[in-house]
Amino acid sequence: MDAPMTTADTTHDVVVVGAGVAGLTAGRAFADRGVRPLVLNRGRGIGGRCATWRLNDIPLDYGVSFLHGSDPAFLDTVRSVPGVSLVPGWPHDIQGEGTPCQPRAFARGSSRLAYAEGLNHFPKFLACGLNIRREVSVESLMPGAGHLLLTLAGGEKIRARQVVLATSGTETERLLEPIEGVAAEVGATHRLLTMLGNLPCLTVMAVYGSEARSPAWDILYPDDSKLLHLVANDTRKRDDQGPVTLVLQAHALWSRIHLDTEVETWTRALLAEASMRLGDWVNRPTGVRSHRWRYARADAGSELSQPVLIDLPGGARLGVTGEVFAPGGGVEAAWASGRKIVTRMLETKGCVA
Amino acid sequence: MSMHKLEDLVARDRDHECEGVGASRVCVRVVGVADLPTRFGHFRIVAFWNNRDVKEHVAIVHGDVQGEAHVATRMHSECLTGDVLGSLRCDCRDQLIMGLKRIASEPCGVVLYLRQEGRGIGLINKIRAYSLQDQGLDTVEANLALGFRDDERDYAIAAHMLKSLAIRSVRLMTNNPKKVGELTKHGVEVSGRIPHVIPPNEHNRFYLETKANRSGHWIDFSGKPHLQEQGDAVMIEGANQQGQSDE
Repeated sequence: MDAPMTTADTTHDVVVVGAGVAGLTAGRAFADRGVRPLVLNRGRGIGGRCATWRLNDIPLDYGVSFLHGSDPAFLDTVRSVPGVSLVPGWPHDIQGEGTPCQPRAFARGSSRLAYAEGLNHFPKFLACGLNIRREVSVESLMPGAGHLLLTLAGGEKIRARQVVLATSGTETERLLEPIEGVAAEVGATHRLLTMLGNLPCLTVMAVYGSEARSPAWDILYPDDSKLLHLVANDTRKRDDQGPVTLVLQAHALWSRIHLDTEVETWTRALLAEASMRLGDWVNRPTGVRSHRWRYARADAGSELSQPVLIDLPGGARLGVTGEVFAPGGGVEAAWASGRKIVTRMLETKGCVA
Repeated sequence: MSMHKLEDLVARDRDHECEGVGASRVCVRVVGVADLPTRFGHFRIVAFWNNRDVKEHVAIVHGDVQGEAHVATRMHSECLTGDVLGSLRCDCRDQLIMGLKRIASEPCGVVLYLRQEGRGIGLINKIRAYSLQDQGLDTVEANLALGFRDDERDYAIAAHMLKSLAIRSVRLMTNNPKKVGELTKHGVEVSGRIPHVIPPNEHNRFYLETKANRSGHWIDFSGKPHLQEQGDAVMIEGANQQGQSDE
């Protein structure tokens, strides 16, 4: 029982929902094999948690602080991004005994790097030439005869023979819930997602005036703070002697408690906590911007081994992918999960004629 | 009495570093040896370090295996719920005990106890898989997403462990011809295969009583589907041998 068709309806072969690293990598992988997918992104900015904000015209990485990985193909891709100055090995100087977001980043055999111009250049590179619609929110997903019907906020409907969900775990869970009875695989995937944890992160970006001196480390993981998980000294991604720039990220538990409280309150609290370690100047930024990551990263122990591919009754196919659908977590896992779902979709024939 | 001492392997391996076995270039070292009297026989236990994961694999050795050919050998994947807790959702404990008893009855033999919980999917994800099964949502896709198994690495680790123990050739206790092929590929001479047949008992009677087969899994009397944790179809003495790999 499809909703009545309106004139605005369009039909696509492949629609990718989510233009984070997983969705963009999937889009890119389809494009490389001659399929032109439509990529939908809820927000204006693409790249998901691989995010850069320009504050006083200085790039600050307020999502992931650096890229890391061990898969040579992934490392080749992140090193091949044109127009950026690679900062190999960043972070070099690590301060504090606290636990990194992803301890594996510092394991033997793992390489780390940053871009002086901001890590968002990686998803932007993946997005080159892709057909992306921004600020499009998918309200629901409904299987029909030979297609999936996507209803967008505002009522527009899009039909697709194949859909890849490359949204965050919680968003994917929301989209699958109403259709979990459609097929056992959908139900199982939905249940699986409800078993996985995710962590929020309150983040503060700050730019300082001439009174500030850049700390002599790249990243600090305090071991004695209930508030601060890390301070990234983004100043040291560039050698231009520019103003000191810091990114403060809060612990998941503290973030969860303060997620829906006044932004100014938690921003001040995080700056004050950092100032106790770095000096009073931290409380006096010349520019500051805060961001709530409701879904910052997968919880440890949440990782799955590969994306899910479901042949729906009626003939449409649904791929479910994203960071948790590949071992290891982080940008590398998102990238790997995006590639893997496309390989599986193209190498196995669905029921679609 | 034994002419070779397993203890000597610790000193031999102290600085051992080779190019590694298999695509994952696994290298292992013998790092500890001790007596292990058990209710199934008197064994020696050999602890291994490896360069690929932080898992502490062990070999349980009976008799003098060094330099020997045709050594009775069983590869067992760790299963906390089965091996330790006696879970009836799998047959791991029966298989482990059978393996230990068998090597104890041979002049020499070895059980490689590989710390690949739940066939490498990890304990957390194994329990998640059980949870989905409990809710009747045991699908191939969900199990694939939950599975971390890297077969190649398991076999590479096992092959190097056998080489470290100076075992010349093995008679592999398995019902799965793939295991023979994989070990051979990693340079282990498999001189024979011992069918791994478990005698019937009250704990595996579900195999005898019900041949129910739902989405490729055995279901026991309490309605719980089984994962093939040891990568081996179970053979029970006197039972219909349905559901095995064809040979």
